[in-house]
Amino acid sequence: MSDLSASPTAAPRRISPHAKRGGVKAGENRFGILLLIPALTAFGLVVLFPFLEALRLSFYEFTIQMMSPEFVGLDNFRRILTDPTIIGSFVTTLIFVSLTTFFSITIGLGWALILNHPFRGQAMLRGLSLLPWVMPAVVAAFLWGWIFNSRYGLLNSLALDFGLIEYPVAYLSTNAGAMAAVVITKTWLSVPLFMAFFIAGLQNLDREQIEAARVDGAGNFHVLKDHVLPHLRPVMMVTVVLGIVGNLQHFDTIWALTGGGPVRATTVLSIEVYRRAFEQWDIGMAATVGVVWVATILPPAYFYLRQLMMRAE
Amino acid sequence: MLDLSTPQAKLGFVIFAGLIGFFLFFPVYWLLISSVKPNAELYLTRPTLFPESFTLDHFRRALFEGGLLLQLGNTLFVSLCSAVLNATLACYAGYSFAKYRYFGRKPIMLLMLSAQMFPFGLLLITLYPSFTTWGLLDTRGGLIISYVVFALPVATYMIYSYFSQIPNELIEAARADGAGDLRIFHTIVLPISIAPVVTVVLYSFMWSWNDLLYSLTLIVSEDKRTVGPGLLLTYLNDSKADWGGAMAGSLLASLPVIVGFILLQRFFIQGVTAGAVK
Repeated sequence: MSDLSASPTAAPRRISPHAKRGGVKAGENRFGILLLIPALTAFGLVVLFPFLEALRLSFYEFTIQMMSPEFVGLDNFRRILTDPTIIGSFVTTLIFVSLTTFFSITIGLGWALILNHPFRGQAMLRGLSLLPWVMPAVVAAFLWGWIFNSRYGLLNSLALDFGLIEYPVAYLSTNAGAMAAVVITKTWLSVPLFMAFFIAGLQNLDREQIEAARVDGAGNFHVLKDHVLPHLRPVMMVTVVLGIVGNLQHFDTIWALTGGGPVRATTVLSIEVYRRAFEQWDIGMAATVGVVWVATILPPAYFYLRQLMMRAE
Repeated sequence: MLDLSTPQAKLGFVIFAGLIGFFLFFPVYWLLISSVKPNAELYLTRPTLFPESFTLDHFRRALFEGGLLLQLGNTLFVSLCSAVLNATLACYAGYSFAKYRYFGRKPIMLLMLSAQMFPFGLLLITLYPSFTTWGLLDTRGGLIISYVVFALPVATYMIYSYFSQIPNELIEAARADGAGDLRIFHTIVLPISIAPVVTVVLYSFMWSWNDLLYSLTLIVSEDKRTVGPGLLLTYLNDSKADWGGAMAGSLLASLPVIVGFILLQRFFIQGVTAGAVK
């Protein structure tokens, strides 16, 4: 669930003009630092220290046969560049991330536009729509695994009914089918969150401007293209970045649904690193792939953090 | 906003709504009915869209023949502890960022928010040996500490956004009356912040409840196992392929987060998207 993020566009509203400089007088600020200590300690222990340690180990060879890590300089990084399996998992990650982000956002936006239209039961439907998002990843994986099941699955049955296929297909045993399954499962889990963002973004749409455009004869398509989408652009940027960062790190549903297979068809970087570390116990290489992985997350994460901090006072 | 006065527009709207609605909700319905269909009806090449017969046998097996009951208890314990701890740390940190000014405040805040971009899978590689050294491997404590920290960036930002809106006059008035910093926070700020605090608790609870990666790796003993890995290890390598049990178990494993979410939905949606409107 690392892609869930609070109020990325939340600007702390200033209630009083005095709030501008914020905070209390300088003398009491030591107490502010004191308040930070528990969170900072925990953060250092579980995030900062392991990360620096992983960064260090990426310059070492360290496998299960070795007593202690051995310094090898940039050798691990060189191996990444020449190892087609690792390059393959970068490509797989790229495919998974772009497809999942694209579909989650498109469907999330579509659903938000639909739920923005007043009808009976609208509020209840909005609430219900968030359901997939709160489900555990393993549950989502089981559920979709059952739907994609080759012998008793709903998908095969529906596809046969509609005459799309002649024989049942073992989706999860084919490369494209397995990729489609993990993309669909993750999309299903992510649509609700993006929908919530877009619904929030639609709240303060300028209705008069749209009325005016209507009077000038603009149809639904033009209203969407010229008014609604430009209005949603800031929210869109945030959701795209959040989607990319979250999907780049995603592990749970893929592991539960395909385990990275068949063979390596859905082995994204998270699976690659996990396998290297906890199945082959090649800690050095796992750390190196992980460090390069962080490098791919950095650009979108930087953009996102800059947004957050710009709004912070 | 959309003009649905023409029949074409209406038709398009209904088709799109139907497709997305089907995609979002039908799987949930499928989960429900698959968990109550008897095996004879479950294992059909052309499954029935409406169950013709009904059984609770899958639930009985899931609960009493596997370790699900114990796993649910373990997960509840771990998730509650990490949710409460997380909210506590997030409140103190968020209050500090919102209402105090000191050297290094912004860089520290940026550093803490950046925790989201370190892939948890990478941290696990080096956390695993460290936890072994610190005696935290295969303990609930180790799992709780990890969850507390991983939900911290988002939780801190959520609560920070809220605290920033509390007028300083309120705090300064209390200070003028002679109240200390800690007392002001506990007796004045916290009581008016119930909704965001509850949101943070629920967010963090969900985070811990739904995790797979850490619980799968850091917990080895069967008696400490949580639901995520529990379900996976029970049904994934199951040669009998007990899909009925898997569906019933999944439903039971989702129930606590669904109930919590329904009860607190209003706070939650506000908390997570608050201010996306500007």
